[in-house]
Amino acid sequence: MLRALFSRLLQTLLVLAVVSVAAFWFLKLAPGDPVSLMLGAEYSPAAAARLTHELGLDRPWPQQYLHWLGGFVRGDWGTSYISHSDIFRQAVYEALPITLTLSALSLLMALLIGIPAGMVAALRRGGPVDWVVSSVAVLGSAMPSFYLGIVLVWVFGVGLGWFPTLGFVRPWEDFADGMHHLALPAITLGAYYAGLIAITTRSSLIDVMGHSFIAAARARGEPMWRVVCVHAMRNVLMPLTTVIGLQLGGLLRGAVMTEVVFAIPGLGMLITTAVLNREYGVVQAGIMLTALFFVLVNLLVDQTYQWLDPRLRRR
Amino acid sequence: MVQVDFKNLLAQRLAADFSRRNFLGAVGAGAATAVLGSGIAQAAEQRRGGTLKWAQLVPPDTLDPHFTGSLGSIKIHNNIYNGLLKIVYDGKRVGFAPDLAASWEMTDDKTHVFKLRPNVKFHDGEVCDAAAVKWSLERVKDPKTGSPHAWMLASLESVEVIDPLTVRVRYSKPFAFFPVAMNGATGRAGTIVSRRAVEKFGKEFGRNPVGTGPFKFVQWRENELIELVRNPDYFEPGLPYLDKINIQLIKEPTAAVAAIMSGQVDALDACPFQFMSQVRGNKNLQVFGEAEGNYAFLAMNTKRAPFDDPNLRLAVAYAIDRELLVKQGYFGDAVPAYTLISPPMADFYDPAIAKSGRGQFFDLKKAQEYRAKAKVQGEIAPVYVASEAFTSNGSSGSRNAQLIIPMLAKIGIKAKLELMDPAVLNKRTNAGDYDFYDAAWEGDVDPDETMRPEWSSGMPWNRVGYANPEFDSLVLRASQTVNVAERKKLYVQAEDLMMAKDAPIAVLAHMRVFKILNKRTEGFKYVPANLMNMHTVSLKA
Amino acid sequence: MTLEQLSPAAAASAAAPSPAVRRPHRWWRPILRERSAVVGMVIVGAFALMALFAPWLATHDPTLQDFSVALQPPGADHWLGTDSFGQDLYSRLLYGARFALGIGVGSVALGLAGGLLVGLTAGLVGGRVEWALMRVVDAILAFPEVILAIAFVAVLGMGVDKLVYALAVSFVGPFARIVRSDVLQVKSLPFIEAATLMGVPRLRIVLRHLLPHVASSLLVQAGIRISTAILLESGLSFFGLGVVPPTPDWGLMIAEGRGFIAMAWWISTWPGVALALLLVGLTLLGDGLRNALAPKSQGG
Repeated sequence: MLRALFSRLLQTLLVLAVVSVAAFWFLKLAPGDPVSLMLGAEYSPAAAARLTHELGLDRPWPQQYLHWLGGFVRGDWGTSYISHSDIFRQAVYEALPITLTLSALSLLMALLIGIPAGMVAALRRGGPVDWVVSSVAVLGSAMPSFYLGIVLVWVFGVGLGWFPTLGFVRPWEDFADGMHHLALPAITLGAYYAGLIAITTRSSLIDVMGHSFIAAARARGEPMWRVVCVHAMRNVLMPLTTVIGLQLGGLLRGAVMTEVVFAIPGLGMLITTAVLNREYGVVQAGIMLTALFFVLVNLLVDQTYQWLDPRLRRR
Repeated sequence: MVQVDFKNLLAQRLAADFSRRNFLGAVGAGAATAVLGSGIAQAAEQRRGGTLKWAQLVPPDTLDPHFTGSLGSIKIHNNIYNGLLKIVYDGKRVGFAPDLAASWEMTDDKTHVFKLRPNVKFHDGEVCDAAAVKWSLERVKDPKTGSPHAWMLASLESVEVIDPLTVRVRYSKPFAFFPVAMNGATGRAGTIVSRRAVEKFGKEFGRNPVGTGPFKFVQWRENELIELVRNPDYFEPGLPYLDKINIQLIKEPTAAVAAIMSGQVDALDACPFQFMSQVRGNKNLQVFGEAEGNYAFLAMNTKRAPFDDPNLRLAVAYAIDRELLVKQGYFGDAVPAYTLISPPMADFYDPAIAKSGRGQFFDLKKAQEYRAKAKVQGEIAPVYVASEAFTSNGSSGSRNAQLIIPMLAKIGIKAKLELMDPAVLNKRTNAGDYDFYDAAWEGDVDPDETMRPEWSSGMPWNRVGYANPEFDSLVLRASQTVNVAERKKLYVQAEDLMMAKDAPIAVLAHMRVFKILNKRTEGFKYVPANLMNMHTVSLKA
Repeated sequence: MTLEQLSPAAAASAAAPSPAVRRPHRWWRPILRERSAVVGMVIVGAFALMALFAPWLATHDPTLQDFSVALQPPGADHWLGTDSFGQDLYSRLLYGARFALGIGVGSVALGLAGGLLVGLTAGLVGGRVEWALMRVVDAILAFPEVILAIAFVAVLGMGVDKLVYALAVSFVGPFARIVRSDVLQVKSLPFIEAATLMGVPRLRIVLRHLLPHVASSLLVQAGIRISTAILLESGLSFFGLGVVPPTPDWGLMIAEGRGFIAMAWWISTWPGVALALLLVGLTLLGDGLRNALAPKSQGG
């Protein structure tokens, strides 16, 4: 067991290494560089050459990569070209918690809405309730998040004035205001997951309800709610975990558009802005964080699987 | 020998003088034509305190005025720093009023003496005296600093401290540009920064600005906000009123508009044109804004075929329907441009230019005539580069391109639009790898600043490669001429040359620039130089 | 990866006689019996028809600018209204179906092909090769999709074909994983071993026995990924890195329309609704196919 875990960890490191090389290489391949962006209208070949040299961007790529790698593993992630701020602090202490908060809240909402909705739809299968719930669920997972976000902002923010239209207030500083600001973004980001969760819950519950052991429990005289919530849902957990697990890794990255629309300074916004500004160090940091998160979550999910279903403990 | 009143001459020139980036402190109280806006009025009625929330779309790059290239930064740092002079506006004319300098004298045409206000302190407690001013100016000029604005002080010979409150600035040549260069407000070379802070923070000074202005810098959270707090020791008595300013940095224009419309923020620094009618219709908002000193243009790469041919370029210039562009690209909030000089440059702008036959305008027949004379006949497919990513009001994104391309199709030019992210756009325009791109020069008030650095041969901003020595000498002479009528004549010649003969660009429109404030604020003084001065602003109860 | 791998269904279908023995024309029967599959097919089919017959169904040239009618609400002349350039939204919607389906199907097909290749190789060859390939796949999966797409577009430039490549890359990973685990499952089944022992060439085994088993789950995944591809593409347009205007593309229309949401909300709405409907259709189709092709599970 420990050996397996160790081997998994090693594999994780390897994957992260590949990701870091790929990220570095891609961005370098992309035309454009931070120097001409930073100089803007004051660009001149002489100024550009000087700034390039200052930033160390004229050294050969492998050397730049190794330089970055050496610093990275020591915790020195460099400083951003434009803001001169410490990248580690910016990414890990400022941006990451924000995105994690947003993602966690969105997932929570998605679970709280999606699971009951899916259950209701499954139990009233074929009826109008099922139809409505299924339609809304599918719709939720089919809307581009930036579009949904903007619609929500104009309807609930500008039109009705119920929620703030943008910005992020740290819930650990001011909980009520923080939640108020997170409401619309969480709905925007969570809609997709809520839809997916509802659909999955519904179809697997329908599946499970048809099994013989359910009929047996009913025959035994067990109340419906117990049959559903205890016996049936226990079997729904697995496929649900699959779906959530699959999506979970992508939570951090799905937040990109929501963060931009709502002006939330999270990891998604950080990476996207950095890609456009060719801030190599920041992009590396951001991608490593999302990749790490993704891999760790997958590890966790896989372990949860094996714990949930002993049949899968093969390797 | 007759004593020439240099100051007066310069002051006359200054009354219409404005430079987009060279707001250096200049002339003082004695100037005959300078209009003073005191900003101390209404002190008794306005409420003190409160936090103003302002949404900012134009991204700031750094708050070190000696290094900034962004109008977004300038709006913000004008609340943190002072220059020797500042710009004021009475609704009709732009003028200069003393800021850090209490007076300005010119002892001869190369020497300027400033008397500073007493007891002015930087935010960190350091005294702002003649030595501090000297240090700040020399910082810009020093090649070791590497300031991109050093050229504004190129012929600065010396800065001498006469006494703790008097500074003498000597130039090696008469520099008509000087006052513009010395204007600290939106400026840059003449904005006075704290020596102690610069020495302490070094390269990070841009994220830790220390000045003498009405607001002190608190923090800058990347991609999130910039926070300013009231400076209780500000030298203008009674100002400022606000306790804090919270500047939200926003990327998505529609989100920012939603924020101001819903009242979540109190001010907005720029607004996409299509929302203006809605914003004006919102009874909680007040809109400030007029046509400012700017022009949008279509740049043509004169360094390679087919646009190395002036006939083809002229064809393009006459084929563009500017009225349509104004209506559909700027939703009516712009004025068709015939030449580079824009309406606020009152002494130089000809309001009847439409009837004069000068400059560029829409004339399809003329366009076709030039097209027929062009070297390359048959279909031409030039590359039009543009970028949408995170564009705010300043750039049209691809909108102008989409409007212009069908217009050019009418003269057999089938331009192909290529979209890319801003970094690539930058690279390609710098490298000359394009045929068309469109851009704008903004925040100008003086014809010199709007023409010379952009279009003189070999200047870095001159990306199209326009090189006409006659034009160069015309605008150079104009910049050294103080007599307004003479200058005007020179500019007419220069423009006729550039617009109607060479046409390296097709000028499009002069845009209105807006600042939008919620009616719960009061006291905002609009200055047509893309400024958001919060000195006199307060929040109603 | 998905539901059916966990249920006994996969094993059950593998235990059935090899597909070569079944009569080919009956495989569509279970699909038709599944209602959601039918509804899905109808919806997707309708969009496919829209895309195919766009030039005949459209009332105007989708990129024709006419400022005298710009920003008009739906009316007699322009059934769905016009956008800020005066372009007819109805016609743009029709042509947009081409791009949606084209980009969606194209990128998924490419990704599928790539994933198939990688997954088959990994599953069949095994050993170090498999290990290395799967680590690469993991790396691709870990990469944020939007960033991957943005980076690809930055490198390759813009244009519909380049967009398809950029999107395809993010699909290779998921497909490779699915193919590989299916291959692993099937590989160890007795009849496969028997075939190998009998000397049946590897390729034949792959084509005749492996692929059909893999096909059904791949098909379902493909349907889901088409939705993802289209959503991703509209996200790129939001950043100004999708298709080049004035291409009539739903993602671009939504992105452009968002700047006019207060005064001309219909510009974003029609493509948004169309997108949602298409995705609904694809999801239903995918779900229905999966339900139809996987036999009902036995008792728990």
